[in-house]
Amino acid sequence: MALDVYITGMGIVSGIGIGVDQTLVSLREQKSGIQPLKHLQTIHDLPCAEVDLSEDQMRELLNIPADEVVTRTALMAMLATREALQQARLTMDGTYRVAFIHGTTVGGMEKSEVYYFDFLQNDLHNEFIEAHDCGACTEKIADYFGGFSFVSTPSTACSSAANACILGANLLEAGIVDIAVVGGSECITKFHLNGFKSLMILDSQPCRPFDETRAGLNLGEGAAFIVMESKAHAAKRGVAPLCRLSGYGNACDAYHQTASSPEGQGAFLAMNAALEMSNLQPADVSYINAHGTGTPNNDESEGQAIVRVFGNNPPHVSSTKSLTGHTTSAAGGVEAVISILALQHKFVPANCNFTTQMQSLPFTPVINVLHDIPVQHVLSNSFGFGGNNTSLIFSNVQ
Amino acid sequence: MNSKPIYINGLGSISIQQPLSFEGIQQPLSYQTPHVRCVEPNYKDFFDAVQARRLSKIIKRAIVTAKQAVDDSGISMPDAIVTGTGLGCVEDTEKFLDAMIRNEEKFLQPTFFIQSTHNTISSQIAIHMNCKGYNNTYIHRGVSFENALLDAYLLFQRGTIRTALVTGNDEMTPNYFILLGRIGYWKQAIQNTRTCITQEQSKGSFAGEGSVSIMFSDTPSSKSYACLNRMSLLYKPVKPMQQIIREFVADCGLNIDDIDVCMTGMNADTENDAVYNSVLQDLFSPNEIGTYKHICGEYYTSLSYGMLLSAYCIQQGIVPAHCILGGVEKSGVKHILLYNHFRNRDHSLMLLSTC
Amino acid sequence: MDQLIEQLKKEIIEVLNLEDITPADIDSNAALFGDGLGLDSIDALELIVLMEKNYGIKLQDANQGRDIFKSIQTMAEYISKHRTI
Repeated sequence: MALDVYITGMGIVSGIGIGVDQTLVSLREQKSGIQPLKHLQTIHDLPCAEVDLSEDQMRELLNIPADEVVTRTALMAMLATREALQQARLTMDGTYRVAFIHGTTVGGMEKSEVYYFDFLQNDLHNEFIEAHDCGACTEKIADYFGGFSFVSTPSTACSSAANACILGANLLEAGIVDIAVVGGSECITKFHLNGFKSLMILDSQPCRPFDETRAGLNLGEGAAFIVMESKAHAAKRGVAPLCRLSGYGNACDAYHQTASSPEGQGAFLAMNAALEMSNLQPADVSYINAHGTGTPNNDESEGQAIVRVFGNNPPHVSSTKSLTGHTTSAAGGVEAVISILALQHKFVPANCNFTTQMQSLPFTPVINVLHDIPVQHVLSNSFGFGGNNTSLIFSNVQ
Repeated sequence: MNSKPIYINGLGSISIQQPLSFEGIQQPLSYQTPHVRCVEPNYKDFFDAVQARRLSKIIKRAIVTAKQAVDDSGISMPDAIVTGTGLGCVEDTEKFLDAMIRNEEKFLQPTFFIQSTHNTISSQIAIHMNCKGYNNTYIHRGVSFENALLDAYLLFQRGTIRTALVTGNDEMTPNYFILLGRIGYWKQAIQNTRTCITQEQSKGSFAGEGSVSIMFSDTPSSKSYACLNRMSLLYKPVKPMQQIIREFVADCGLNIDDIDVCMTGMNADTENDAVYNSVLQDLFSPNEIGTYKHICGEYYTSLSYGMLLSAYCIQQGIVPAHCILGGVEKSGVKHILLYNHFRNRDHSLMLLSTC
Repeated sequence: MDQLIEQLKKEIIEVLNLEDITPADIDSNAALFGDGLGLDSIDALELIVLMEKNYGIKLQDANQGRDIFKSIQTMAEYISKHRTI
């Protein structure tokens, strides 16, 4: 059954820009956000793509007083959501039943990792005990705007925001809500920076996805949300859709807690399911925005899965994590916005830092931005720990 | 929305009651402490030493109850696995966090980090079953379980799946008990958990924990306990909840009088229970209002236990007296309305009926 | 060397949480990974942390572990050669 899900607004903050316009410029000019750490306090000297705003600056942009308890993850999400609502010309006045679905994993960990021993020993920072909770974070963001009749928090590590898109689409299809605002947000924390470090998958150099010399990922942070509604509902509101979500797939690799199977079975199943739902043939896809973290294991496994689905000459492939870093739970949202920009502005973003062809793969990623080329359907992959694989397909509305 | 019923064909639970059994519904154990941990089965019957090395308690519980529910249903492999968990794998999150702070970001063990992500539970179940189908996890406070169930429910409505394993999992470590205690979650002391809802109304509840797995199918079987007719989740509803409940029941093709028991999340916390009392006072008498948290304790996904209990009661046709606010056993039970709220912000309604 | 092997076995049992396995159950020359004890890539990372914490040996690349962690014997040999603590 074809999906009747159209995107009427989007918003983003990440290491490559605050807002859609800056993001588009960075993508077209291949400006990477991966730099030495500036906002996070840690002993590690690792390049990351931070959002270049302090929490105070975000509060100012959002008009939130200094004494109100709001985490960095929530602040970034508010900025991105505000932009998405504005573009969709949606006022949260209770006219419509609107869902807010926020994929996240670390929640308020950025404060818990500072105050954890206080939590155990005294009452000095009790306000952050509640703020630690991911669901509380979602409600904090929703309440900043008000008027949401449904809220939810999917959490599947690095595919969280992509799974938020699936729930939003299904709620719309079931007629439970009129509009769904979906995406994800995650700030870099010491907790997951050290976690990824303990897995020895952080590169101390800028990451090189789909490159023979790749040696791991760079963390990023960010938030991105899209506004979804049916074609008829968008028409009724007089808002022109940017594109549509034509299909999704979710499958589990069921192989290992962190490693992907060598043949990429979960990724293969997810991409095929998304194609089937979209009623598309592999050859119809113009561009694959890969998960492409830059770890030896992911890119090998995802690459093999792409070959299994698309053959030895797949469509253009790039990993924009070489620009944004890996924004973990937000990645599915960040890359949804990037995919939509590619459709709207007819370009394919680059897979930066590429030098050496992977011996095990027959295809080469897009090394430099391809301008002025037809982009009809974009497939975006997001994979999480535990083999949680999700693929989304965005399509032009013409 | 027109909705198709889905059927509860298998159940499994580990809780603060006898594990892997319905004994707790008939004759619940009672406790005199506000922090009660699970009664564990012997996990050596389920895992060898190498398998068990990276499975924390919550994951062992989840895999074992998942297996019980799947075996109970006679369905060999679910099309989807969806988990609700308020807090995820707290024990391992604490271990990693504690070590990171103490050792100043040095000598960190990856295992505790890997296990700290909330979706570890759902993926470990999938790995153990070799289930490559749809897999998702929801973490939304006191409505985490119904968020997971709604996700599966929508896939059933679309016809994307024919079977689903939906689970609710939470653990309450000593440290997290302290944290939540600081912000008013727990009573200082408790005389008797079994009777606390009627006898010990005060600030806070008592903490439980548990793992419940429920196998749903789009077709009934000889194993079916009950069917889920309809469900609804609401955030900060504008309309009064009484009206919403009336409309929900009407949408199910029933009258309020047809509901045998309204099963609530009352937990002996005055503020929490007052919401149920005020919403339900004109709709149901005390002999039609049910409770289950005196059996399983308060935790974010305790509704999963409430659903297991309700499904079992529908199959038996009886809700035992200790689960009824008015204290009178209810027989001839055909329809149970599950009503849950979290802080009067998030609300959920689900109708379970005989098949 | 025998003393180091014995100590390593105890440390590995503890750090990998191998309940019910005793040092006597682990053959010093048997494979730790694959068909032997059945350990995997995450265990290898745990062993890297163990070597750093207890013996002051820092590996930069997880792939180096492949040869070092072939068996308890090879691990003990590597540690006795490179330990700084």
